This record gives sequence, structure tokens and C-alpha cells, in this order.
Amino acid sequence: MSADATSATDVDPGVEPPATRVRAGRYLATHPHLVLVAVLIVLILMTGVIESNYLSINGLRNSALFAVPIGVLAAGQTILMLTGGIDLSAAMIATGAAYVAANQSPKGAVFAIVAGLVVGLIAGAANGVGVGIFRVNPLIMTLAMGAILLGLFTSWAQTIFSGSTRMGDFIRTLGGGSFWGKSVPWAVVVWAVLAVFVVSMLRRSGFGRNLYALGDNAVATRLSGTRPWQVLIVVYTLAGLFAAIAGLLLGGRVGAVDLQLAGAFLLPSVAAAVIGGTSIFGGIGTYTGTILGALILGVLQSMLTFLGAGQSVQQILYGSIVIGLSWLYTRIAATQ
Amino acid sequence: MTAVSQRALVTGTQAVWRRWLRRHGWTFGVWLLFLGLVAYYSTLIPSFGSFQVASIVNNGTPIVFLAVAQAVIVIAGGIDLGVGGLLVLTSVTAARLMEGQSFEVTLVIAVFVLFAAALLNAGIGWIITVSNVPDIVITLGSLYVFQGIALSVLPNPGGGTSEGFRWMFTGSVRGIGSNPWPAAVMITIVVLVAAWWMGKTRSGLSLYAVGSDATAAYLSGIRAARVKIISYAVGGGFAALAGLANTAIAGRGNATTFGGNLTLNSVAAIVLGGVALTGGIGSLIAVIPAGLILFFLSPILTAMGVDPSGAQIIQGVLIVLVMMVTGLIEWRRQRRS
Repeated sequence: MSADATSATDVDPGVEPPATRVRAGRYLATHPHLVLVAVLIVLILMTGVIESNYLSINGLRNSALFAVPIGVLAAGQTILMLTGGIDLSAAMIATGAAYVAANQSPKGAVFAIVAGLVVGLIAGAANGVGVGIFRVNPLIMTLAMGAILLGLFTSWAQTIFSGSTRMGDFIRTLGGGSFWGKSVPWAVVVWAVLAVFVVSMLRRSGFGRNLYALGDNAVATRLSGTRPWQVLIVVYTLAGLFAAIAGLLLGGRVGAVDLQLAGAFLLPSVAAAVIGGTSIFGGIGTYTGTILGALILGVLQSMLTFLGAGQSVQQILYGSIVIGLSWLYTRIAATQ
Repeated sequence: MTAVSQRALVTGTQAVWRRWLRRHGWTFGVWLLFLGLVAYYSTLIPSFGSFQVASIVNNGTPIVFLAVAQAVIVIAGGIDLGVGGLLVLTSVTAARLMEGQSFEVTLVIAVFVLFAAALLNAGIGWIITVSNVPDIVITLGSLYVFQGIALSVLPNPGGGTSEGFRWMFTGSVRGIGSNPWPAAVMITIVVLVAAWWMGKTRSGLSLYAVGSDATAAYLSGIRAARVKIISYAVGGGFAALAGLANTAIAGRGNATTFGGNLTLNSVAAIVLGGVALTGGIGSLIAVIPAGLILFFLSPILTAMGVDPSGAQIIQGVLIVLVMMVTGLIEWRRQRRS
């Protein structure tokens, strides 16, 4: 405030930044995704410099394949974060769904997929009931759900799901296969369809607006006639469904399932939403940003692999990028 | 008005009791639950003696210290996903530096690790206050950074420590025995000092003030940003204590342990200990039994004949139930006022 007052009284044209820069800054503030696009392009080019073979359909396809499970899991995280929630059980839901699908694969692809998705629906709905009706903190509810699912599937793996751990051929094609001369992975098509659904839901539907409203001010939303518990149950169920889809795609790519299948993707899925500009406190964010976040993480993975960086360097860089990008994003958005 | 006058009619001692219960009821309840569980456990297994007590106290030390670290930060209005990473980092750093050293040297190294961790986490706190990015995001990043540094410090499990140092945390030079006293005394003294600092001193109370409303605290003359950084520094110190305890128990360091799971345990422990995740509410004294219960639950369930995966399910359900109960108490309190 004091800075404004001084600049108004003693105007010094030498100190004022040039008009074009002000305009550029303002444009960036209203279109913060451009920064993410720029980061993505720079990362792709840098990876291309490190390994010239990367700038080919094959190289980019590998990055995309890595980004798919993160991006699909992050769809759930994004819609939950809009309401001020989070899903720490997403990775375990994904693993469970893949496990059930692999187990039911001998009974046919459709049955296996449906069985896998049902796992996501049930676990997600349970999360929603806990958060929406019993008002349990989302962090704790989903954390506990993750523990419960791990326990359930560890014991079920010995008993009712003790059969096959190999994914059926159809799901394997869906998760790891490609078409058009092995250029476009099927998993990317699934992700694209899901992305269109999520983006149009958030931007066009009343339910989408409810999510933003609930995250922005839960009391005002309730007083204006929305029943928050209904919205929360639906959104957690939806997030569970997305997690199950991510699990099926990941399981299909890997080919066989175990109970550690998706564990490593949990925190990256949160990171992708955060890098994409979704506020963890709710009310702010888009799925477009999250997609860019997931792609950045996918390219980063390729780059670190080409660099031959050890696990330690990968994790340090990964953490620094989460901190750096979220900081940058907050600064740009704050100038608006 | 009638309710108020009725309450005023309650006799003196009754009023004191009620106020005490209202203020410390949760702490009291968690301690009672812990002691009840220990008593129950002693009837479950054929021989319950000092070895079992020592096993609970010694092996529970890291989770207790990590939960205290998380509690200090959450009370001040933050949340630190990186404490688990810091535990792993301090544990492997200590194990690497202490290998083959005498007791005196290992003590110096321990103090160095403690302060280095406090300083490192203060840096994370500084980034949070300067950047205005939510705590959970920055500390998600710091979790990976700490884990990565830990892997480069000690790529393969190994390292070592002195016998005297192992005795300090486990009551035995071999890290396993039936002497719970060194660990119990250390937890008691360290946590009591921290609880006194947070409850009775000006600088400690400002953590509660900032946690319950940072703007109001700032307007009443507290440097909110500095308080937040202090809370992260103290939390870092406690995470380092947890890491040192870990090294003393195992006698070596292991950087392949994933700190994220340890962090999640610490969050579950403070919730059980009655610390509000929204900040400003909670007691460190209640976090001790909560951490021990969380650690202790699986041996109890094993003794009851539940297999480990069943124990995991029950643990998850219990955490949710506890949260529902707290939610219900809070809801009743709000309706009454």
C-alpha cells in the first residue's frame, strides 16, 4: 500500500518498468498456464539436447505413457482439491482395482474391467460418506482408507483373490499398446476422453460449479441450498472411479499386478495437481493445468532416465521442481 | 441465561473438576486408553515383564518423537510432510558419521545432526513464509529432497554407531534388552521441556496464537512469519531426535525406508493425540501415549490372534472412529455455545 502511495506522489519515469513488460506480466497473470507450457517445451527441448533420439514419436510416447497414470490419478486429486479435500488412498484404490481386474481376467475383459471399477466406486463412496456425513478430515479419512485397503487386499490375495495376477490381453493393449504404426498409445486416448469429460464437467455443469463453490465457502454454499454431503459423496466416488481407471491402465502397461503397483504414483499425482495451479485449500484450479503438470512430470522422468541420474538425484530434482514451480506459479498468480 | 446461572450454582470443587476435565479430558483419556491397552496386553501373553515394556517404549521412541515434531508444526498452523524424510536423512547421516567412533564423538555428532536438521527445516519454514505456497505443497517437495539427499549420503544400508549411543536410546549396548528406563526418561524430559515451553513461555504460546489465527496474532504484535519458522525448526529438531533413535535401535542407517509412510503415521498419531489439524489446539503430553498406542496396536492384535493384514484394517478403522468421535464432541460443543 505504501509503495502505491509513493509511486503516485513522486512519479519517476526511470523507475517505472516499460509498458510492454507490464502488459506481458499482466497477460501471464491472467493466463498462468502459458508458464507451464513454456516449462514443458523447455524441458522437452532440454531432453532432446541430452538424447537426440528423444525428439521422435517413440521418445515422446514414452513420456506420455509415464504421464498417463499420474494424470488420471491427478484428475481425482484435482476435483477433490477444489472442494478442499485430497485422496491419499488413490494409489491403493488403483492397486486394488488392478488386482481385482487381473484376478477376474479369465472371466472376460468386460467383467474384469467392471469388477475393477466397482472397487474404485465402493472405496471412493466410503471416503465420501466419511468426509461428507461424518465430517472426518479428508487427509485422515483417505489415509485410513489406504491402510484399510492395503490390509484387505493383503489378506484377500491369499484367499478369495488368490488366482491369476496377470492382466488380460485387452487391458494390456489398453494400458501399453499403441495404434497407427505404434505411434499413439491407447492409454493416451483413454486419458484424453477422461480429460474432455472432467474439463467439461468443471466448466459447463452445475455440479462442477458446486465443487468450486464448496471449496470457496462451504457455509455460503450450504446456505444457498446445496447439500454439501451429497456433493462430497459424489465427488469422492468419482475420484475413486478415476483412481480405478488409472490402476487398470497402469496394470495393463506393467502386465502383472502386485500390491506395490501404484504406490509410487500417489505423491506425484498430488504434485501434478499442485504444479498445475490447483489450490490445496479449494476453490481454485483447472484440470487443464493438472494435465500440463502431469506432462511436465512425465517429461522430467524421461530426462532423468536419459541423464542416467541415480535415484537420489532424481528425488532431489523432483522435490525441487515441485517447490520451484509452485512458488513461481503463486508469484505469477499473485500479481493479478 | 438460565444455563449460565445453573452453572454458577455448581459447588467449587465440582467446577474445578469440570474445568480440568474440559481442558485436559482428551489427554487424560488417551493416557487411560494407553495404560488400559498395556494392562490388556499383559493378560494376553503368557510372560509379560520388563522385556515387553522395554520393547514397547524403545521401539516406540522414533514414532513418538516424530509425532511430537508434527504436533509442534501443526499447532503453529502448518503441516510438514517432510518430517519422515528428515528422519531418514538424519538417521543415515548419523549412522555414516558415527561408524567406528567413540561414545564422546558420537555425542558431538548427534548434537551436530540435531542442529543441522533444525536449521534445514527452518529453511523450509522460511520458504513457506516467503513464497506463500501452502505448507503441504512445499513440504511435499522437501520430503523428496530429504529422501534424495539421504540416498546419496548412504546409498546402501550400513554405517554404525557406538555402544554407548545405543544404550542412550535403548538401555542396552546391543540395542535390544529389557531396560526401558533410558528411553522413557529421555522421552519424558524432552517432551516435558517442550510442553512447558509451548504452554508457559511467551515464545511457545505464540505458536498457539499463530496456529489459531495468524492474522489476529500478527495484529496483536506477534511476528507470525518468525514464529512459523521457529515451529519448523523445533519440528526439525524433533524429527532428528526420531532419526537418532532409529539409528540407535537398528545400529545402522537405511535410506531405502520411505519417509512418506512415516510422515503419515505421525499425522495419524497427532490426530489420535487430540491435536487439531486446523492448528492452535493440542497438547504435546497427549501425543506421547498416542504415538505409543499407534506403535503398540499391532503387537496387541497379533497377540489376540489377528494376522498383520487384519491388524492394518483394524488400525485404519480405529483412526476413522476416533476422528468421528472428535467430530461429534466438537459438534456438541458448538451446539451448546
